[in-house]
Amino acid sequence: MEIRKFVFKRLIEIIVIFFVILTVLFLLFRLAPGDPVTRMVDPTMTPEDAAHLIAQLGLDQPIWLQYIYYLKNFFTGNFGISFHYGVAVFSIILNRLPNTILLFSTSILLSAFVGIFFGKIASWHKGKKTDTWMTLGALFCHTLFLPWLALIMIWIFGFNIGWFPLNGMISPEIWLDSSSGFWLKFLDVAHHMVLPLATLFLIHFGSYLLLMRSSMLDTLKEDYILTARAKGLEEKVIRNRHAAPNAALPVVTSVGISLAFSLSGGALTETVFSWPGIGRELVFAVSNSDYPLALASFLLIATVVLISNLAVDVLYAYLDPRIKY
Amino acid sequence: MALLTVKNLSVGYHTRKGFLKSVQGVSFSLDQGKSLGLVGESGCGKTTIGMALMGLLPDNASVTDGMILFEDQDLLKMSKKEIRQVRWKKVAMIFQAAMNALNPVHRVSEQISEAILAHDADISEKAAMKQVESLFDLVGIPQDRMRDYPHHYSGGMKQRAIIAMALACHPSLIIADEPTTALDVIVQDQILSAIKDFQNKLKISVIFISHDIAVVADVCDNIGIMFAGQLVEYGRIEEVFDAPMHPYTKSLLASYLTLDKDVVQLNSYIGETFDLINSTTGCRFCERCSVAEATCSLVAPEWVEISPTHKALCYQCK
Ligand SMILES: Nc1ncnc2c1ncn2[C@@H]1O[C@H](COP(=O)(O)OP(=O)(O)O)[C@@H](O)[C@H]1O
Ligand code: SF4
Ligand SMILES: [Mg+2]
Repeated sequence: MEIRKFVFKRLIEIIVIFFVILTVLFLLFRLAPGDPVTRMVDPTMTPEDAAHLIAQLGLDQPIWLQYIYYLKNFFTGNFGISFHYGVAVFSIILNRLPNTILLFSTSILLSAFVGIFFGKIASWHKGKKTDTWMTLGALFCHTLFLPWLALIMIWIFGFNIGWFPLNGMISPEIWLDSSSGFWLKFLDVAHHMVLPLATLFLIHFGSYLLLMRSSMLDTLKEDYILTARAKGLEEKVIRNRHAAPNAALPVVTSVGISLAFSLSGGALTETVFSWPGIGRELVFAVSNSDYPLALASFLLIATVVLISNLAVDVLYAYLDPRIKY
Repeated sequence: MALLTVKNLSVGYHTRKGFLKSVQGVSFSLDQGKSLGLVGESGCGKTTIGMALMGLLPDNASVTDGMILFEDQDLLKMSKKEIRQVRWKKVAMIFQAAMNALNPVHRVSEQISEAILAHDADISEKAAMKQVESLFDLVGIPQDRMRDYPHHYSGGMKQRAIIAMALACHPSLIIADEPTTALDVIVQDQILSAIKDFQNKLKISVIFISHDIAVVADVCDNIGIMFAGQLVEYGRIEEVFDAPMHPYTKSLLASYLTLDKDVVQLNSYIGETFDLINSTTGCRFCERCSVAEATCSLVAPEWVEISPTHKALCYQCK
């Protein structure tokens, strides 16, 4: 099958690109200002102890040897120990990743579905009041500044009305209590998620709505829509069966890209809401020169971006029979 | 009895420059099982007439006058729902742009059965598919290509599929708007013979729109020559070909008879485009007419009957 060949080819490409990134990251971290040793090494240590620690970390070796070790460790799944937390980087990432995925895939998929739905309706009522209000609303939401909106949401719904927690993802008292069941924990997370989810939703759904609307308007000019109309099909059928599937294709790409970049791009949201995700960890790691953690986070982001691009291509081929690879 | 009678049809488009009168006072009628060719150069209003017959004129168009009687009912007075039931069930259309007339994300067979299912509430999907199979046989596409997507088809096959689609609900009238223009010459002939074929077998009336008089000569019983939104000559094909009356028809035929096909098409694009927004009071063909008289540019000519079936819009015919 052609698609299998294509995926295979792309996977090889991805692996090559990945190693280039791996190497560049290695070099960047060695050349970057801010010496990790001074952070790690307590100034009150004796010079002997400090030298011992440096040797233990391998930082006294020549750079090419460090690179070899780095590769070896990578292949054995050893991403090192976080300078800050003192535990394996791998376990930190494993712990944060699901939180990011939970928040961002929910918000992106939700806003995409809502955006596609209303974009379709807006395009159908082009030039009428429905369209005008929807487009204006979408534009307004689209141009909102995320941290500002986040703070407003927290201030109104968290602080003033007090419906939702100000930040965080869980209430420790519920999770530490061994008698709490699954549903209680689930509701607790959902409760914490409402504000960040609503913020992300408001920021994103507008762009999906506008994208779907303009894509629909283009599609409605196509000859096959005229054919569908000439066939005597109902307008609803024309819209849903003949226009929307074609028009949604660019939105799918956009969703894929957003999903890919949510790992890193979500840092701002995660920080404002103290959401314990990868993005916030990355910012923290970089600003504290926690190199092993930062490096592993970067690698993870690179991998996700590369893989999701491939996933979007494959999905596209499935949705649009014209696409051949 | 006439299946279709178009009386004094006038259609215009609201444009930024003004109201563009693209069809003015066009009348003709068509009997069951007969075919009519509408010929004229690009922009003379042929597609506009076709779209008006389908009730598919774009939003900026408005019908300013006339009626379209189909089976004694005025299509222009029908509600949206009523006209939807006439579309494809009674009047089907083969469009000018064959290449994109099929939806790329649905299988060809599905797009055809969709038309059948939309107009027959009682038929099962399976039975509709069976009908699609026989339609494919009729237009000469192998049945194993049925489930393909449109992009797997060549231009000729796409146009055959559209013809199959047009025949799907057994309409009494098919409007074929330049059905071969986008195709290469050999395929053009194949499509033309496919159209002649179903015309003979199924006795369906056809309005055949073309800018190429040679194509129409082959397929039609009657011919209408159009210029700048008006019908200028109308008659049985042999009458018009043997004794053309209007100077425009004469020039079209002269180039058809003396030159080869390609030149005729090219030739018919030459000439000033008529100003359809600020139209003159006199004969519209005046500026291009080699036998024009002084009155021609002042007073519009009226129809002259040459025989009960043959008429022309010109002073010279008296
Ligand atoms: N949607 C439209 N809006 C404005 N003008 C149009 C539109 N469609 C066609 N016209 C104009 O109407 C005239 C007749 O067009 P058309 O019916 O497409 O001619 P033909 O099919 O004979 O080439 C042309 O002058 C064309 O520019
Ligand atoms: S009416 Fe006059 S200008 Fe018009 S076609 Fe006849 S001769 Fe020519
Ligand atoms: Mg046309």
